[in-house]
Amino acid sequence: MNWLKEKIESNTSKVIAALFGTLICTIALTIGITLIWHFGDTVEHIFAGGTFFFIFWAGLFYWTILAEKGSNAWLRIFSILIPVAILDITMLLKPFS
Amino acid sequence: MQQATHKTLYKTHGWIGIISGILLFIVTFSGIPALFEAELAHWQTPNNPVLNTDKQDFDKALLVAQDQGFEHSTFFLQPANEIDGNIYFAHFPKDESPSHIIKINPNTYEIQPPATSDLAELLAHLHTDLHLPNPWGRYLVGLSGMAMLLAIIAGIFIHLKWRKEFVMLRAKRSWRLLLTDQHKILGLWSLPFTFILAFSGTILGLLGLISPILAVAAFNGDVGKATEAVLGPKAELTQEYIPSQSLNQLVIKQKESMPDMDFNLIFIDGLNDKNGFIKFSGGHHSKLSNLESTTYMIATGEAVHHGSFIGKGPFQRIFASVTPLHYVLFGDSWLKVIYAISALAACGLIVTGNMLWLERRRKNLQTSNDHHWLGKLTLGTCGGLVVAMTVAIASSQILRIFSFGEQQINIEMGLFWGSWLSFIVLPFVYGNSFKLSHLMIRLVGLLFLVTVIADGAVNDRWIWDSQGWVLNIQCGFLACGFLCFYLDFKIPKYKQSKTNKEPEEDSESGLFENHS
Repeated sequence: MNWLKEKIESNTSKVIAALFGTLICTIALTIGITLIWHFGDTVEHIFAGGTFFFIFWAGLFYWTILAEKGSNAWLRIFSILIPVAILDITMLLKPFS
Repeated sequence: MQQATHKTLYKTHGWIGIISGILLFIVTFSGIPALFEAELAHWQTPNNPVLNTDKQDFDKALLVAQDQGFEHSTFFLQPANEIDGNIYFAHFPKDESPSHIIKINPNTYEIQPPATSDLAELLAHLHTDLHLPNPWGRYLVGLSGMAMLLAIIAGIFIHLKWRKEFVMLRAKRSWRLLLTDQHKILGLWSLPFTFILAFSGTILGLLGLISPILAVAAFNGDVGKATEAVLGPKAELTQEYIPSQSLNQLVIKQKESMPDMDFNLIFIDGLNDKNGFIKFSGGHHSKLSNLESTTYMIATGEAVHHGSFIGKGPFQRIFASVTPLHYVLFGDSWLKVIYAISALAACGLIVTGNMLWLERRRKNLQTSNDHHWLGKLTLGTCGGLVVAMTVAIASSQILRIFSFGEQQINIEMGLFWGSWLSFIVLPFVYGNSFKLSHLMIRLVGLLFLVTVIADGAVNDRWIWDSQGWVLNIQCGFLACGFLCFYLDFKIPKYKQSKTNKEPEEDSESGLFENHS
């Protein structure tokens, strides 16, 4: 267990979180913002999502990389990813219910 | 800002630069010829006509093209403009078979011979796709743009003494301080342009990658439907013959319905088909948008779709302005020159950043960066690209002596890739990187001068007789040549070592060294 803890808390783990964790988180956030954006027509929703994609990615990258250790970086990722993923799934499934 | 935050941002800035620097240099430097693609394309073909008629007869041009065997029902029509004086008809097959392109002189309606040089496309395609298979090259370019954006963001936060750094150049202290000051000056002065180029380039490169994500949210994953919502519907051809309306009449109709649009491309999908479409695309003549379009039924002239991003929401306006901002489709030619100088500054920023990282590493490891593989790779790839580009530019005119015809395109490509590869290998064989970089700069300067002389001797386009865009391009080459000789003169011939015992006023270096 100590081995795993060391790995998660390592600098490499932090960099992986900043590179790949933030990408997954950004995708979830982009879907979320496109779904909830209520200004303008559907095309405006798409472009709002498209613009925020890059803002989210850059913002999350630095928020994650500035974490003290790897475990904190992943904690930051999951604190955003889990609620946003739940919101996305709920909203995407809404038309079928 | 806390010291730990500053330190992390500094390290991140350095590592992003080191990992993506060489790729970023390729994309940024090739962006300069890509910016002038139309102008270079005009220059590379000496017999290109200059448009001197107000009205282009597209019906007549189509008949001329059809007489030459252009029997396609789906094709693009590019009108002549003030830079490229040809009317183009182009058909790009969906399979791997070669495209069919016909050039027509709009003044005489004669067929123009096919181009013997593809220099502009060779250099522009390197910028947009890195000559890699579609879409992977485009994605890689987009990712390098994202890396540039992240490096810029960190760079802004770590350089807090920006007022002082705007003008600070300690040329005679030490090699490392010279690199540090050059890096900061280049970064600060070109910041607004590099930020715009990085942000717009990232969107252009990664749009294809994020489209499915956006389509999942708004169109149940149907990318085609999302594209249709943005760009208008596609024709559903019936193969039922109905003669198409006059192209000239449809052009008049388009100008009446969207007077603010300057169309630069016509797409005909289904000529003489009952359900065929004709789509006019272009930019707004006074606002930042190149996504204006209007589509008609080609058989009846009935309007199908008007696509305009002007007066729409802020995010549609942002996306409509991305291409004009990236390729300077606004303002005049001097703005393009300012963009080109900024791109050159960004290239200097990348190279000095890499050298600085190597200098700091050298100090830690007590080795010479002449022997570090990254130093050699940076010199070979970045310097080699500049040499290879000028080899291709010079050869586009010199090779005309041998009348290779269309075969010249392949020879130009061979020379470009061959010389680049040779210069990538050269620093690993020839040990003195300082001397080699000076030789490269001199060679580039010489090749620019040779280009202008060859253009005069081979095509009888001596600079004192030239006019219009040919003169501008020749003057540009001369200016680049003299800039190279100036740089060769100014850049130190050997590494200056620090002679006095004063501490180096490089506030961030200590932070970096502790962790590199």
